[in-house]
Order: sequence, then C-alpha cells, then structure tokens
Amino acid sequence: MTDEDDLHALSRELPAVDLDSTTAERIARRARHDIGKGPPRRRLILPILAALLALGYAAWGIIKLIELLG
Amino acid sequence: MDADERAWVDGLRRGDSAAFDAAFAAYRRRVYGYLIRMVRRRDVAEDLLQETFLRLAQHATRLAADTRLGAWLFTVAHRLVVSWSRAQAVRAQLAGDLPARTADERSPLEALADSQAQLALERAFAALAPAYREVALLVGLEGLAPTEVAQILGHSPEAVRQRLARARTQLAAALGEHAPAAWRTS
Repeated sequence: MTDEDDLHALSRELPAVDLDSTTAERIARRARHDIGKGPPRRRLILPILAALLALGYAAWGIIKLIELLG
Repeated sequence: MDADERAWVDGLRRGDSAAFDAAFAAYRRRVYGYLIRMVRRRDVAEDLLQETFLRLAQHATRLAADTRLGAWLFTVAHRLVVSWSRAQAVRAQLAGDLPARTADERSPLEALADSQAQLALERAFAALAPAYREVALLVGLEGLAPTEVAQILGHSPEAVRQRLARARTQLAAALGEHAPAAWRTS
C-alpha cells in the first residue's frame, strides 16, 4: 500500500465534522448576496494608498534632485 | 471534473444562486473539516469558511469554465489559514505566551470522538506539524491527488509526497497501539 492509501484508510476513521445548520444557512445567505459582485472595494483601498504614497515620495525625490542639480 | 461540478461552475459563471447553493452544500463540510483541523478553533473555522465562500461568490462570474471547484476552494481556504496563522504568530509574540491547554481538556474535535481509537486518531492528527497535517488531510481525508495538493499549496508534487511519508510515520508513532496493524509491521 502507498502512503496515500494508508492515509485514506486511516482518515476514514476520523470523527465526522459539520457546522450547525443555522450557521451554515447564515454563511450561505451572506455569501449568496455577493454572487458576481467582485472583491469588495475596501480591499483595493490599501494598495491604492500605498501606490499614492510611493508616487508622492518619488515625485518629492525627483523635485529635490532637480533642485540640487539646478 | 464530474458532471455536477461542471454544471455548478457553469451556473456560477452565470451568477446563478442555485448553483452556488448546490456547491455550498457539496463542499461546506469538506472545507469546514479541513479548516477546523488546521486552526483548531470553531469560531475561526466558521469565519474562514464564510470568507472562502464569500470569495467564491465574488469570483463566481469570473471563474474559468474548467475550474475544479474543490481545488479552487481548498486553495482559498489554504491561503486564509496561512494568513490567519501569520497573524496568530504576531499576536502571540505581542501578547506573550498564552496559557496552555491542560492535558485533560478536550478540543471541540476531540469531543466528537466516540471511541478511544477515534480520540487517539484525532490527537495524532492534531500533533502533526501543520505542514504535514495539511497534506495528510487533503490527500487522506479529501482524496485529492498529490499533484492537485501540490498546486493548492504551491509546492512540487515530490515535496507533497515527502510530507505525506513523514505524516504517515509520525501518525504511526503517535498512534502506537491504535495504529492499523499493517502500519505496525511495516
């Protein structure tokens, strides 16, 4: 027997685990509401802020460099 | 990919909530079982399960036609477990050592065991290092192929097979007299 076969056989003996039906329904209802909506906007805010900050630093650096050279 | 899975993916791509319900019913126990055995806390497992299916819903209409739903869901669940584990490690460092469980305190999973053998098995899985426990659960319990698990975890199939072999060895050692007879002689 391979390791996979051994582990299949052993894992079948693990106790069955499930959510209670109320929690399952709550999760399903919450997720169903979001079908096809795409990732929430709040997940985009942090990368946009980070990009703006990086651009600001870059612009400041370029201005300082021009001042030094000029 | 079986016919049901193909139909669910087609339905999800159209934004069909019935297809989502069918996929949720088919996979919720499996994903929850994986999550609770990885994070070992019911409240966290429920939160991560919700996040997994929220992401399925949010990405539904952008799924590829040939998406293997099980692998897709376990990939998301795996990433959520990794993020949660990292956050836990940081929190533990900030808060100092948390009080350890006493030896006779049962986890929610151990409380489900209805025999000494099941209890020993649950504890043996819990004692595995997370990296070994993860492959043992995905291959052993979920029946995924090592190549599929390699894709989910972002490792090579060979690394997954090595982890499987180590998981089996550690389980056999932890189970002792409760190990299957064939394991004790090999």
